[in-house]
Amino acid sequence: MGAPLQMMRDPAYPPSRSAPVVWALGAAIPWLIFAFAQVIWFALDGRWLWLHGAAALLTVLGAVISVVVAPLWRYRVHRWEISPQAVYTRTGWLTQERRIAPISRVQTVDTYRGPLDRLFGLANVTVTTASSAGAVHIVALDAPVADQVVAQLTDIAALGAHDAT
Amino acid sequence: MNPTDWQRLSPRMLLVHPVHELLRQIPLLIGSIVLGSATENPLWLLLGIGVIVSLGLARWFTTTYRIDEHDVSLRTGVLQRNSLSVPRNRIRSVQTEARLLHRLLGLTVLRVSTGQEARGDNAFELDAVETQQVERLRAVLLADAVQADPERPAAAETVLASWKPSWLRYSPLSWSGLITIAAGFGLIYQAGFGAALQESTVVQSGLDAAERIGAAATVAVVVGVVVLASVLLAVGRSLLTYGNLVLTHRVDTLHLTHGLLRVREHTYDLRRLRGGTLREPLLVRLMGGARLDAVMTGVAGVGESSLLLPPCPAATAQRVLTGLVADADVVTGPLLAHGPAAVRRRWFRALVGPVVAGVALAVCAGWVGVPGWVWPLWLAFGALSVWLAADRVRALGHRVDARWLVARSGSVERRRDCVQTAGIIGWTVRQTYFQRRAGVATLVAATAAGTKHYVVLDVPAEWAWTVAATASPWVARSVWAHT
Repeated sequence: MGAPLQMMRDPAYPPSRSAPVVWALGAAIPWLIFAFAQVIWFALDGRWLWLHGAAALLTVLGAVISVVVAPLWRYRVHRWEISPQAVYTRTGWLTQERRIAPISRVQTVDTYRGPLDRLFGLANVTVTTASSAGAVHIVALDAPVADQVVAQLTDIAALGAHDAT
Repeated sequence: MNPTDWQRLSPRMLLVHPVHELLRQIPLLIGSIVLGSATENPLWLLLGIGVIVSLGLARWFTTTYRIDEHDVSLRTGVLQRNSLSVPRNRIRSVQTEARLLHRLLGLTVLRVSTGQEARGDNAFELDAVETQQVERLRAVLLADAVQADPERPAAAETVLASWKPSWLRYSPLSWSGLITIAAGFGLIYQAGFGAALQESTVVQSGLDAAERIGAAATVAVVVGVVVLASVLLAVGRSLLTYGNLVLTHRVDTLHLTHGLLRVREHTYDLRRLRGGTLREPLLVRLMGGARLDAVMTGVAGVGESSLLLPPCPAATAQRVLTGLVADADVVTGPLLAHGPAAVRRRWFRALVGPVVAGVALAVCAGWVGVPGWVWPLWLAFGALSVWLAADRVRALGHRVDARWLVARSGSVERRRDCVQTAGIIGWTVRQTYFQRRAGVATLVAATAAGTKHYVVLDVPAEWAWTVAATASPWVARSVWAHT
């Protein structure tokens, strides 16, 4: 390529400080159920000790990765920012994504708050465009920040009132 | 009659509906036959047929449609009423189809497609109207999208491509024949005729013959028969579906007609066209062929709804696409390769299979021993993988300017996506852990057209945003951009 390479600075803002806790709790619940099932299995049928040991080891390993490693890693990666022209996010941990969409093409702005989100005062914002592959998710924001984001986005999006395809 | 009144479909459907209903309600029909013969009372059968036929007749009486200033509406349903309304300015394309019975009666099914994916009850389908009404309806329905002038002479249309018998040479090697055979057997066993088939004299005499000539010869004969049947079926199916295909360009629309028995017509609004995809499945490519799909807003990107050309000579597909995008470089121009890291990844992925298989075989050979014929097979697998990797490396590339994004990849399903940059409404740069280590990224352009996402595979990571910024000035102008 002859022209100078285009670089992109990362978006500025991290998610809420309680985001890793919420992610960890969300991941811990299925692992707890799984561990509980194993305890019951052991109580009912204590033969094949090595099999129980292997299953327990796998459970602990999986739980540590998804409850400790993944939330902390995600918190380090996740960033978001909104400019007057575009929404830009960075997400993921093992597989990381940077996604940008122009605000002039935004069709809907949704917020979603699950039970755990409500407990910790978080909210997730989804910005959809006319492409099913172009939706931008800004996850685990503090609820007041999310409200502000929604207001800002709907304000700007209302200005460009043309067919967004 | 006021044109904005509720109208019924063609009265000739009173003949078609009962027949279709009988075909659709075969289980009910079988049930009434069984009941009739069990109770030795033919009234059951008559009653069954009577119910089905009157259901078919009722369909006609309960289906009405209306075209008014803003919307087209459709009401259907005998017991469960269903009412559907589509804003006229959302109509993106009009499709028609005529099955055999419809054609005998001079009827045509007319389908309206909007940007939404519509299935089943949500599809706006007029089944059916009289064929001579179709042109008028099409003009009315697309009037908002296309300023169709009924007074304009037909001379304004040019034929872009028309089917030739030589196109049939691309079809024998497709999977469609084998799939048809498998589906046929599945149907036979599903319907419970499997046992009857096994006991039939044809199969029994076949088994006797098999015992006489031995296992190897039997396998050869069976494979030969299946291959021959699948070739015949594939060619026949291709002939019936695409025979007499004509692609015409009118002022603002593309018009596609195809099918010998079941005639299908599709009108595309050209102002919604965002590009095209040249697809070259391996077996078609080896014969020098290609197929062409439209990339269009409001039309699904895969399957029949986006078909522009079935397997045909690559030159024909390229010529048609060049005519549509008005830039020969987009269709046939050289592409920028993605560099050594992407090449290494292609080779690694293709060779993992053979290497693992080889190690496993070697271990087995040392342990319990493997039959000798396994090794030539493994060699063939390895050679095929090497060829596949080389072919995928050759395919991988992209080219981008302010107007067009072109991405090519794949070997077995090679595709060259040409997408208008004006239609791109979002970018994703995705990196798996291994892609980060290799310094490459997958760039995904989101659009409202076609398959909705077009992928540039394994570009060097530092090029990813350059490609996006070249195609979309709003990326280059964004507050995050720097050089």
